[in-house]
Amino acid sequence: MKLRSSHLAMAIAIMFSVVPAKAESAADLNDLQIAHVAYVADNIDIRYAHLALAISQNPEVRAFAQTMIRDHTAVNEQALALLAKLKAEPQGNFLSTTLQQNAEKLIDEMSSLRGQAFDKRYAENELAYHKAVNDLVENSFIPNIDNAEVKALFEAGLQIFKAHEAHAQMMVGKLK
Amino acid sequence: MTIRTRRAVLSNSMAVLTAMAFGTGRSSAAGPVEHAVSITGFKFVPETITIAPGDRITWTNNDIVPHTATAMDKRWDTGTIAKGKSKSLIVGEDHLTEYFCRFHPKMKARLILR
Ligand SMILES: [Cu+2]
Repeated sequence: MKLRSSHLAMAIAIMFSVVPAKAESAADLNDLQIAHVAYVADNIDIRYAHLALAISQNPEVRAFAQTMIRDHTAVNEQALALLAKLKAEPQGNFLSTTLQQNAEKLIDEMSSLRGQAFDKRYAENELAYHKAVNDLVENSFIPNIDNAEVKALFEAGLQIFKAHEAHAQMMVGKLK
Repeated sequence: MTIRTRRAVLSNSMAVLTAMAFGTGRSSAAGPVEHAVSITGFKFVPETITIAPGDRITWTNNDIVPHTATAMDKRWDTGTIAKGKSKSLIVGEDHLTEYFCRFHPKMKARLILR
């Protein structure tokens, strides 16, 4: 499990030429760093969805984007409520920064696309993105979270994001 | 008068179903039955329920994200069911169908005529 997590973090780090200063592996992050990554990851998907609503004319793509906004907003609200209850603040870290930088590039790229080219790129990215985040949550985060309530929220989140992954898979299939 | 009161209580989308259900006067000898469906972990539980026109179905959302219960043929729809909330509808005549969640189309379940 640990081996796999560090491979993943390493792969991400190499891909974006980020040399992490302290925590080098996703498995080394503490609960508040993990919470920060999840919060950033949620907001990235909300941004992708807003881009899709601005560009896409495809009713299925638009409905998917609306579900992403609705669900990721709900998860974020739940996460913020839990952090407030625990009187804790999420902590920025190398992985949040990497995800954010990657997202900026993708948003730039997708913004220039129109019509079916956009729809396909958006759908494929949603599938790849949910796959990558789910892998991270399932194999690196959940086994390493200390707080039981935080862990329970991530388990609920994983179930939601797996449903999104299956939904994205369906959308990719239809756009082929 | 009774029908009007019942209708007023129900939301718009329910009104049609109510009209259909009450228009027929067909229900089981024991009278209308209450059915509870829980939405938990992106599943309708139980996935299949056996119903008769005039019965009432109540869906309760135990997930942290909103869901809907919507007929595949779109003839009926609970609308958004928020986290921790419930929505009910009364079974109409041609209400015997598969349904799904409009927000998560992979979530499917079924109503079967008693
Ligand atoms: Cu749903």
